[in-house]
Amino acid sequence: MVAAQDVADPVRTFRVFRFAREDGPSRFDAFDVPVSAAATVLDGLRHIRLHLDPTLSVRHSCFHASCGTCGVRVNGREALACVTAIADLSDGDITVEPMANLPVLSDLVVDMAPFVERFPPEHPLTRTSERPLSDASAYVRFEDCIECGLCLSACPVAATDDTYVGPAALAYAQRVLEEARGGDRDAILAWADRDDAAWRCHAAFECTEACPSDVRPAQRIMALRRVLTLGGSAAS
Amino acid sequence: MRVDRDPATGRRSRAWTATTLSGLALLVLVTIHMVAHHFVVDEIGGLRTYSQVLDYIGNPVILVLELALLVTVTVHAMLGLRSVLFDFGLSARGRRNVTRGLVALGMLTIGYGVVLIGVLASRA
Amino acid sequence: MSDRPDETADIREAREAPGPILRKAPGPTSWFDVRKRGTGHWAFSMNRITGLGLVFYLYLHLIVLSQLLRGPAAWHGFLEVATTPIFLGLDVLLLAGLLVHGLNGLRVALIGTGLVPDRQKALFWSFTVIGTILLLGGALHIAGSR
Repeated sequence: MVAAQDVADPVRTFRVFRFAREDGPSRFDAFDVPVSAAATVLDGLRHIRLHLDPTLSVRHSCFHASCGTCGVRVNGREALACVTAIADLSDGDITVEPMANLPVLSDLVVDMAPFVERFPPEHPLTRTSERPLSDASAYVRFEDCIECGLCLSACPVAATDDTYVGPAALAYAQRVLEEARGGDRDAILAWADRDDAAWRCHAAFECTEACPSDVRPAQRIMALRRVLTLGGSAAS
Repeated sequence: MRVDRDPATGRRSRAWTATTLSGLALLVLVTIHMVAHHFVVDEIGGLRTYSQVLDYIGNPVILVLELALLVTVTVHAMLGLRSVLFDFGLSARGRRNVTRGLVALGMLTIGYGVVLIGVLASRA
Repeated sequence: MSDRPDETADIREAREAPGPILRKAPGPTSWFDVRKRGTGHWAFSMNRITGLGLVFYLYLHLIVLSQLLRGPAAWHGFLEVATTPIFLGLDVLLLAGLLVHGLNGLRVALIGTGLVPDRQKALFWSFTVIGTILLLGGALHIAGSR
């Protein structure tokens, strides 16, 4: 939103990854963007779209790290654009690229289908709780994962192995073991016990570093491994 | 981006477990080996002369320890290489071929090491 | 969407022949690129480099030991090289590689079995301290043996 004060806002240079199938190889475009004190990277990208280049492809939705749509890489690190404050970034150009390890459709938009396809085939969207909620004295938010894909982008194994199911899918599997709620525990264990699943992780913990939603996928993969090797519960 | 899921499932943990257990064993065996070969005899770097080597390997306990080290380190190395190669995203057939190749390489390595140790022990 | 059928065809075309997949670094160099990465990735990278280095060393070691088969004179020839300062320095490098790989392996074993799943940074730093102390001790001993 352009207001009179924007004239006084400092200007930062955004270097944004651009790719369109019909335009040949990718490139970086530079944009000078006025940024207010509280501006986020997404604010900058939207300013570019609205005022500088309407052909820029960007995905976003909720503006508050809940939908997982706006995953990108900012200055080489995975981030949700909507909650990455420009003031927190180092001085100099702000480089924005799409997430890694997923095919780029256009500019900052990647194809999320290969991300979703890595999840176990039994992926019930809703599961029924065994006790009525009125029985609970306190609530713990359990499903933190917003399926943003930042963990897959950060993973050094996913960087070279496209068959690796990745941290989000494995963390999901561990959650089903920890709290089945009607999910098939044996099917999940068989799915996880494969060379392209639980045994491909090398404990780099980049997924946990990148996760904006406190899922801690690396710790969940380790708990999953404990179940596969030592048996027992999958509490992480 | 269609990906063929690996059909092999069940007890895929064996490779990881073997890597971990052989690694833990190596913490002990390699320490013994390094101490024996760098910190015992009073030569430069603790390195043994030819006759000192023969004396050393002539001891049956040492012989067993060195053979154990040879086998354990080769198993661990082959499993490690397998893990690195698998990270290139191989097909199911590729994984099987890599495993077979490394088993063969491992057996050759252990075989050569056993011959080497055996010959030296026989000269002691 | 029903009055713009071309749009569906465009999307299908894009999906079936997707664009480039970006990687943080080309091919396996991404395993060793630790810029802007956390301690867990440093540990993974160092474990991989030392592991590959130690595999190379294993075969080098078997070749060197084969000199013993050729008798005392041949072995003595090797020892003359092996006791030079440069070579002793390489021995210290070997010790470093073994410590890095061994201690990190212990770390991976502890977190991988879920015994200590949530303390990887603490393990990384404490093992770094332990490893540094052991390396310094070993290096001083090897240097002092001259």
